[in-house]
Amino acid sequence: MEEVDKILIHSLRQTGTDVGKDVQSVKHFTSELIVEAVVRCLRVIDSTLGSGLSPSLPPGMSARFRVGMSLAQACQDLGYKGEIGYQTFLYSNEPEIRSLLMFLVEKLPKESAEAMDQPAGKSAILQKSIAAQIKAQLSIPWLPPSCRLPLLSKTQNPGSWHSFHSHNLSLPYSLKVPGKKPLKEEMDYRKDFLPPVTAQPSQHASVPASLLEQHAGELSAAQEWENEWNSQGLLSRLTPEEYRSRKRARLQKRIEEQLRTATQPRPDTLGVHRSGSDLTDLLQSFGGSTVAGDILSKGTRFTHTEKFTFTQEPEKAAQQMAAVASSLPSSHQSEEDLLASLQRQLQQLSLSLEEVGGDMRQLTVSVHQVSDELKQKELSNAEKEDSVRVKKQTIDLLPNAEDNLVKLQALVEGSAKRVVNLATQWENHRAPLIDEHRRLKMLCSNREVESSRKLSEIKELHDKIRQSAEEAKKKEGLYKQLITEFESLAKDVNRSAYTMKILEIVGNIRKQKEEITKILSETKDLQKEINSLTGKLDRTFAVTDELVFKDAKKDESVRKSYKYLAALHENCTQLIQTIEDTGTIMREIRDLEEQIETENGKKTVSNLEKILEDYKAIRQENSVLAAKIRDA
Amino acid sequence: MKRSSTERINLVSLAANVSYDASTFNYYNNIRVLLIPSFNLTNIADIKTHDNVMGNAAAETQLMSSIGLIEKDLNGDTLWVWCYPSVRAELREVLLNKCCLTQDSQGLHTFVFSQFCRTWYYISTVEVQEPTALNKVTHFSVVVTAKDFNPEKYAAFCRVLCRMYMKQGSPVKMMEGFIAVLTKGICKSDENGSFLIKDYDVRKAYLAGSVKDVVAQFGMETIILYTAVMLKKRIVVHHPRVEALLEFTRALPALTWHRKDWSILHPYVSLTDWELENLKTCTGYVAGFVDPEVSNRSELFDVFVNLQDREITISQNAKDAMAMGKLHKEIGTLIVQSAGDADRTEGQVIKDISVKTREILASLASLVEECENSKITLDTLKQCHFPPATENFLFHLAAAEQLLKI
Repeated sequence: MEEVDKILIHSLRQTGTDVGKDVQSVKHFTSELIVEAVVRCLRVIDSTLGSGLSPSLPPGMSARFRVGMSLAQACQDLGYKGEIGYQTFLYSNEPEIRSLLMFLVEKLPKESAEAMDQPAGKSAILQKSIAAQIKAQLSIPWLPPSCRLPLLSKTQNPGSWHSFHSHNLSLPYSLKVPGKKPLKEEMDYRKDFLPPVTAQPSQHASVPASLLEQHAGELSAAQEWENEWNSQGLLSRLTPEEYRSRKRARLQKRIEEQLRTATQPRPDTLGVHRSGSDLTDLLQSFGGSTVAGDILSKGTRFTHTEKFTFTQEPEKAAQQMAAVASSLPSSHQSEEDLLASLQRQLQQLSLSLEEVGGDMRQLTVSVHQVSDELKQKELSNAEKEDSVRVKKQTIDLLPNAEDNLVKLQALVEGSAKRVVNLATQWENHRAPLIDEHRRLKMLCSNREVESSRKLSEIKELHDKIRQSAEEAKKKEGLYKQLITEFESLAKDVNRSAYTMKILEIVGNIRKQKEEITKILSETKDLQKEINSLTGKLDRTFAVTDELVFKDAKKDESVRKSYKYLAALHENCTQLIQTIEDTGTIMREIRDLEEQIETENGKKTVSNLEKILEDYKAIRQENSVLAAKIRDA
Repeated sequence: MKRSSTERINLVSLAANVSYDASTFNYYNNIRVLLIPSFNLTNIADIKTHDNVMGNAAAETQLMSSIGLIEKDLNGDTLWVWCYPSVRAELREVLLNKCCLTQDSQGLHTFVFSQFCRTWYYISTVEVQEPTALNKVTHFSVVVTAKDFNPEKYAAFCRVLCRMYMKQGSPVKMMEGFIAVLTKGICKSDENGSFLIKDYDVRKAYLAGSVKDVVAQFGMETIILYTAVMLKKRIVVHHPRVEALLEFTRALPALTWHRKDWSILHPYVSLTDWELENLKTCTGYVAGFVDPEVSNRSELFDVFVNLQDREITISQNAKDAMAMGKLHKEIGTLIVQSAGDADRTEGQVIKDISVKTREILASLASLVEECENSKITLDTLKQCHFPPATENFLFHLAAAEQLLKI
């Protein structure tokens, strides 16, 4: 029981109970100590349950009684099955208290146990409070000083800040164009004129901000590039430079399109055209800086039309307005005349418009006809020219027709043969070349397949690397966490001692078990022996009985001896029975004695006496109180 | 003595000019055609020594201009591997594009033909199945370009060439056949007899398209097609299947039989810059497209025929010229009646339409005779007091027939 008590006491100390050094086992626990231990445990297990209980025992009997009852109630609420009442705390007996404490210690939550095993000195408390304060402040979102409520300004540093104001820093190297060599003038400038970074911002205070900003910018750019290159760039099979330039061109095009649609002129708002053309100018200059020429040309055409439509219209409108204004009659009388004349003019105009339209249609048709005719003529001319050329040569050959025909035939046959011959020769060259081409192509495609396979492998590897890195990171975190845990645990030297003790206990138990099994086997052996002896006895008796019974028929003396034998057997059986009964009774007696001992251990009588005394005390208190009331 | 020297010079210059292409043979054939009558005068027996085949073939052989070979190999590449004589780079591009071997998604088209820059091309494609000399080739196409429209002739010739190439695995044999056709008009094939060029008359090719089928599909709406072809308008036909396009489009020029102009036909056009550029140079045409995108390209057509859905659309700017009247109804009824008659052959249907067309043209011609310079003006037409639709039609027809005074 010593080990159990030690563990219990240790756990209780961790819950904050002040167990004195001289207290070595549960036996030495005083009522005050028990109450305190139970209350502390309850507080740790369930703060609401334990909050209403005070760890110290009040002097008054009835108050003590109440405390005991409420403690018992709390324990039962927690699920304690054993017998419990107020007397358990006030008039403790060892096994009950031990089982109760064991129950409570088991109920203790693990984390709190962990939290509680920090050394509870003054410095620890200070550190704890500091940690709690920091935690609380971290949970509040940070607000810029101007938005802070007075409440917050207490917790968030109200001192003088430098606002986070960064400047662009000029550095003698550039991440953005890694492959590009700087110009000589640039180098000179950097060498001779460029101030150090600390002198570059206008205010000294913004140096760290600028540096941080610069660094963060470069870091994120590099990271982003790496991500993109790994995910898309590698698959595109371009060199990084090519990929970059292509992406740039694409982005420029998109921006341009966006701008163009944004500047698309709206017919109702003439006034906007100024800004629109500004934008298109900008677009043009933007396009000018790009490498692609076609974009440039597109831009210019666009701006031309833009300028054309928009510079013309206001002027025209102004002219028309002026014309109308000048034609406005000075008096209202002539208005009707004017209307009539205008109508006439309108009719005339529409008539002429129709006429012109008809003419135009006719002319388009004629134009169609003419162009068609022209084309046909051109074609027939070309054909005729050809035939004329052939015929001319033929006519030249006509005079000596027969000869020439033979010659021509020979020529044709000869050239046909030559052509075929040449074709065969060409075929000799062509076929291997084509074969070679196909072979190389096959090789190439094979390589391509191989490379794409490798690429996918690389990608897979990349993924794996990333995964592994993440895993490593995770494990590192876990490792760190465990290290800190371990460090916090390392202070607890008792741990190894506990393990040792537990191991010892386990060893003891094993030894005991072995002994028990030994005894058991011995008992079994004994039983077996008894059984065999009983059997032997029975058999012997039966044989003897038979023999004697046979002789008894013949001889009177033998008959007597047979009677004696029977009596002997009976007596012996009785004897054995009696012995067995004695054994049983002895066992019972032992059991009872044990029970008496345990009952004695519970100090029931003295407890009862004490309870009786308590009762008396309460009654006395009550009568005193009643007398006081009466007096009052 | 003097004469013979000039002859020699001519012959030498001719020989020097021989660039081993079809033109040499063209010279030869022409000369022969021209020379034959002279034989006729000098010695009648000479004619009999010339076999008839040569004489007849001579007039046509010169129309073939080149022969090419496209192969698709095990790598999946389609290569222009051989040709004789040379083929212009852009034409080669078009041919490769048209060859079904370069189009992955589509199936095998055994025979396609179309026109590019007044050159007709005929592509016949074969899959190499049994093990032959062509061990790295899965498919090949034989391409023949010519000046004339005659799909049946060139289909037959291509078949012969394909069989030759499949068997020999070398284009030399093919070239021999080509030259034999150029010079003699005959190509001996190992199986199924010989290929005789005289078997394929151009009139047969013209009559091969079925007007009856067109009418069966479009009924009275055929009159729109008739009017469009008559007025030399731009007709675009769309069908996802090339074969349907080839079959349908070739019948349309037959509606204007009096012109016998099949050069307006472009049965298989893709939406590529080269071909569209070429198409733009033509005044009126019948063009077939497989790409459905063509329906959005309204600048390409006056009349759009969706063959699959049997829909004919007239574009907005051609509505004026294509206005229909009583005359059209009359012609339309005639066409539908003639084509609907089961007893009438294709030739008779075409003839019926042609007779009607001639009637109209004759009436137009009679008007023309009255005018000076044999040209007509809108005013002359107006004096005749035709119904407005007829007047409009006649006016545009006059323009199409080049009878308009400018």
